[in-house]
Amino acid sequence: MLNAAIVFAFACIAAALLLNFWRLLRGPTTPDRILALDTMYINTIALLVLFGIHLDLTAFFEAALLIAMMGFVGTVALCKYLLRGDIIE
Amino acid sequence: MEALAALTLAVLVTCGVYLVLRARTYPVVLGLSLLSYAVNLFLFFTGRLVTGAPPLAGAATPTADPLPQALVLTAIVIGFGMTAFVVILALRARGELGNDHVDGTGEKS
Amino acid sequence: MNLLLIILLPLLGALLPPLAIRYGRSASAWTAAAITLAALLFALGPLVAVFGGAPQEVHWTWLPQAGLDIHLRLDGLAALFVLLILGIGLLVILYARYYLAERDPMGRFYGLLLLFMGAMLGVALSNHLLQLLVFWELTSLSSFLLISYWHHRSDARRGARMALAITGAGGLAMLAGFMLLGHIVGSYQISVILNAGDLIRAHPLYAPMLLLVLLGAFTKSAQFPFHFWLPHAMAAPTPVSAYLHSATMVKAGVFLLARLYPALSGTELWFFLVGGVGLATLLFAAYNALFQHDLKGLLAYSTISHLGLITLLFGIGTPLAAVAGVFHIINHATFKASLFMAAGIIDHETGTRDMRLINGMWKYMPHTATLAMVAAAAMAGVPLLNGFLSKEMFFAETLHLSALGAFSWVLPAAATLAGIFAVAYSARFIHDVFFNGEPIDLPKFPPHEPPRHMKVPVEILVALCLLVGILPAITVAPLLAVAAGAVLNGPLPDYSLAIWHGFNTPFIMSLVALAGGIALYTQRHKLFALHDRVFPGVDARALFWEFITWLMDTAHAMTRALENGSLQRYAALLLLTAVAAIAWPFLNSTAPIAGPVPAAPIDALTLLGALVMMAAAVVTTVWQRQRLTAVIALSVVGLVVSLTFVRWSAPDLALTQLSVEVVTIVLLLLALYFLPQRATVDSSNLRRGQDLLLATGVGGGVGLITWAMLTRPYTTIANYFVENSLPGGGGANVVNVILVDFRGFDTLGEITVLAIAAIGIFALLDNLRLEMPATDDGGRPWSSERYPLVLSQLTRFLLPLALLVSVYLFLRGHNAPGGGFIAGLVTAVALILQYMASGIDWTQQRWRLQYHPIIAAGVLIAAATGAGSWLYDRPFLTSAFGHFHLPLAGEFELATAMLFDLGVYLTVVGVVMLILANLGKLTQRSAGEGGT
Repeated sequence: MLNAAIVFAFACIAAALLLNFWRLLRGPTTPDRILALDTMYINTIALLVLFGIHLDLTAFFEAALLIAMMGFVGTVALCKYLLRGDIIE
Repeated sequence: MEALAALTLAVLVTCGVYLVLRARTYPVVLGLSLLSYAVNLFLFFTGRLVTGAPPLAGAATPTADPLPQALVLTAIVIGFGMTAFVVILALRARGELGNDHVDGTGEKS
Repeated sequence: MNLLLIILLPLLGALLPPLAIRYGRSASAWTAAAITLAALLFALGPLVAVFGGAPQEVHWTWLPQAGLDIHLRLDGLAALFVLLILGIGLLVILYARYYLAERDPMGRFYGLLLLFMGAMLGVALSNHLLQLLVFWELTSLSSFLLISYWHHRSDARRGARMALAITGAGGLAMLAGFMLLGHIVGSYQISVILNAGDLIRAHPLYAPMLLLVLLGAFTKSAQFPFHFWLPHAMAAPTPVSAYLHSATMVKAGVFLLARLYPALSGTELWFFLVGGVGLATLLFAAYNALFQHDLKGLLAYSTISHLGLITLLFGIGTPLAAVAGVFHIINHATFKASLFMAAGIIDHETGTRDMRLINGMWKYMPHTATLAMVAAAAMAGVPLLNGFLSKEMFFAETLHLSALGAFSWVLPAAATLAGIFAVAYSARFIHDVFFNGEPIDLPKFPPHEPPRHMKVPVEILVALCLLVGILPAITVAPLLAVAAGAVLNGPLPDYSLAIWHGFNTPFIMSLVALAGGIALYTQRHKLFALHDRVFPGVDARALFWEFITWLMDTAHAMTRALENGSLQRYAALLLLTAVAAIAWPFLNSTAPIAGPVPAAPIDALTLLGALVMMAAAVVTTVWQRQRLTAVIALSVVGLVVSLTFVRWSAPDLALTQLSVEVVTIVLLLLALYFLPQRATVDSSNLRRGQDLLLATGVGGGVGLITWAMLTRPYTTIANYFVENSLPGGGGANVVNVILVDFRGFDTLGEITVLAIAAIGIFALLDNLRLEMPATDDGGRPWSSERYPLVLSQLTRFLLPLALLVSVYLFLRGHNAPGGGFIAGLVTAVALILQYMASGIDWTQQRWRLQYHPIIAAGVLIAAATGAGSWLYDRPFLTSAFGHFHLPLAGEFELATAMLFDLGVYLTVVGVVMLILANLGKLTQRSAGEGGT
């Protein structure tokens, strides 16, 4: 039962990632792309946690934690660039 | 799986090399980043593709090879140092020479 | 031990005379003399033992695996050279004290002289070929420095460069020869090589090896056709000429011939090469010496000629000839050094060295004249002087040679002819300088005797010439026996050192030479005219410079052809070479590319990841001109790379990659601001097609190699690390234990590199002013809100949280994914976020830390942790650990490796922050500039 659920979840997240990537390719505007990247980061968190559950390993959960943080910082940097050009001022 | 890994690296290197051969500093930096991804992955792959066995001692089953991992870990950080250096060099060249051509000439080639 | 001290004393003592010069010129000279005396004192014990028949040998192990050890050996031949080097060195030091002018930097002179002395002693005492070569090159270098001692003079500089070029090239050839010799024998130890003569002579590589070794010896000993550097080396101060360019350094070549004589001699090739070159040099230089107008030029050519004589003697190859060769080394050193010193005195007193001006010196300096005339007579081979004895042995040897068959008369005839020229130029030295009327237009007039002590070295040497010449059996015999015995590496032949051997052929040859020489000298005016007509200005020097110019021009042309200043072209050439180098074995091999390991099945998720990564890489390339979009695509690649690390069990790498990814994005965005936002297409379609082809070649090559590697069986050396990580390093995370413990030294190097890179970047950013775009790439003005309120408030809450994560990753890094590198990156990202959200000023008001000291502290802590293990008598970076119990937190472990990791952490934080914060400040500075 759990196995089936995991496979289903993997499929969903894979679909989500693909769609994110599609949006990133299509744009049309840069904010669209930044948003797509940010969403990719978030989906990746889910992917990592699922992967950990699937393998019954906790070693990858820090990576998930870090993605949450780093994805945010990356998005902030990109947005700040769009707004001001100069991201550290 | 092995062929897929090889193909991925081939594509990364092809894109990286193509960008490194461009005339402006910015694509060169992008290309170097792609190349360092590829090199890191290659070094990492020398430990072979092992699923679900991080190199933590005490595990019952054999783990992934920790040696390439240690190597790549420092390589990633050093890679950042190198990228930063190249970026700043490009900026300095822009500041001193007034253009972003890799030869500092500003000419089309 | 004493043997090493003999070399080290002058080498290290070379530092003292330049310091002692503060206390006056005499102090400097005395220091140099004291060091030489001390070396002589240390040499005394071993020398006595050698004369007792027991060669001294010492040996220290250095890199035994590479056959590189320190081998010193003092046998008879080395003893002879040690005595020459130290004895004549002492006299030259005394002489130079009076020779050098007030304005000459005397400390430097004595320092260089001692440096040379140590190097030459090293050549004499080395029992290892490569070690000998090192000292050999050191003599070339010190000779270069001494020739150019008066570096304001262009002839000195040119002469020095020429000497270095020729002896250096010879040394290079000799290195190759030594490698071959070591390869043939299987050892570089000279005492082993000397006993392997038969093996060496029978080896197919004997001829090239001999040729290369001889090139080294001939260039050093100024043999024809490499002789021409020596006359130009006469631009050196005369003590240098007396010491290096007549008595010792130029003897290094013949020393090598003597040293390797048992191993290399005894073949036809040796006879014709060594003997032939020796004979050519002997005649050519003796002839040329007569036509020099420069006093030192005459002596220089005469030196070349005598070196040729010694070479010829070793080339003849009979034991008696070798004895004569050794004997002549001793005799030549004594009379030629004294002649150079006398020439120096004359130069010193008259201000010129032109023999056409210097005449009639007998009247002004009778004492010096007497000494010089005795020495010159020894040079000519007049009976009762030492030169006569060895020359007669030489004549006798030329007669006993049967190797030339019907042409056996050639050698004695040539020897006599050379003897005639030797007598003639000696006669010219005596007559032209000391008699022959009155001096003409001397720069200094009238000349007079030099200071008393300046003549002492000359007196000692001339006395030796006489003593050896009259009483050879009780003076020089023991030294000659022990030295010649070492050269032959076997029993000595019968020879007698008597002055009178009866009225035999050699004596007749001597008489013919004396009479013929004097006759030739009386006819000199006709001869000079003839010489000028036949050889108008044929000068080896001009040829040499022409050759050098040609060499430089060719090198420039080649450089220009390869280097047109285009980075793109260099990169393309480099990559093309790499592709060719990779393709070659692939094309030449019949083995299948794929190995025997069966392929693992592909799962859908991994395939998806790979496709996304490839697509993102391609998109990055396609979008490279839309700069910001390309960064977004690049970070997708980075994200998938981190996922790849997770997929194949590398959590540490995933953490590192994620953090570096963000830092890189920030870096790229910071840089992007100052670069053109959009770019036009620069390259032609053809160019892009070419590049794409090349890129595909490289990429395909890498892909093939990866595939070939992944499908081949695999063994690892990592088991040791996995097994010993917990018991030996006290950590379960093997990757981290490798970084901070097993391979801690590498990590120390890496963080040092990072620190250096950061400082380099800091220097590059110094004073950099860049133009800032006023609008974004769409032409819209920038938003006026610098620090969006929501963002800045939100990030302030995030900071402690992020720091907590970083501390967490740091503390558990030894046992679970994490560690100093990752924690450092996370801390840096947390801080950078504050800079972005709240600005540099806000952050620095609250965070008053400079990043340089953090980097320094990091590297120092890591290094100190390593050095700490010395306190416990352990090797550098040995780690210790223990388990502790804390209430609430429970059992935990503390390892010194953690302290090391702290160093790593601090360095990483410092480096990342130094780079990003300073790059960020660039806009502040540029904006400030723009405002005012």
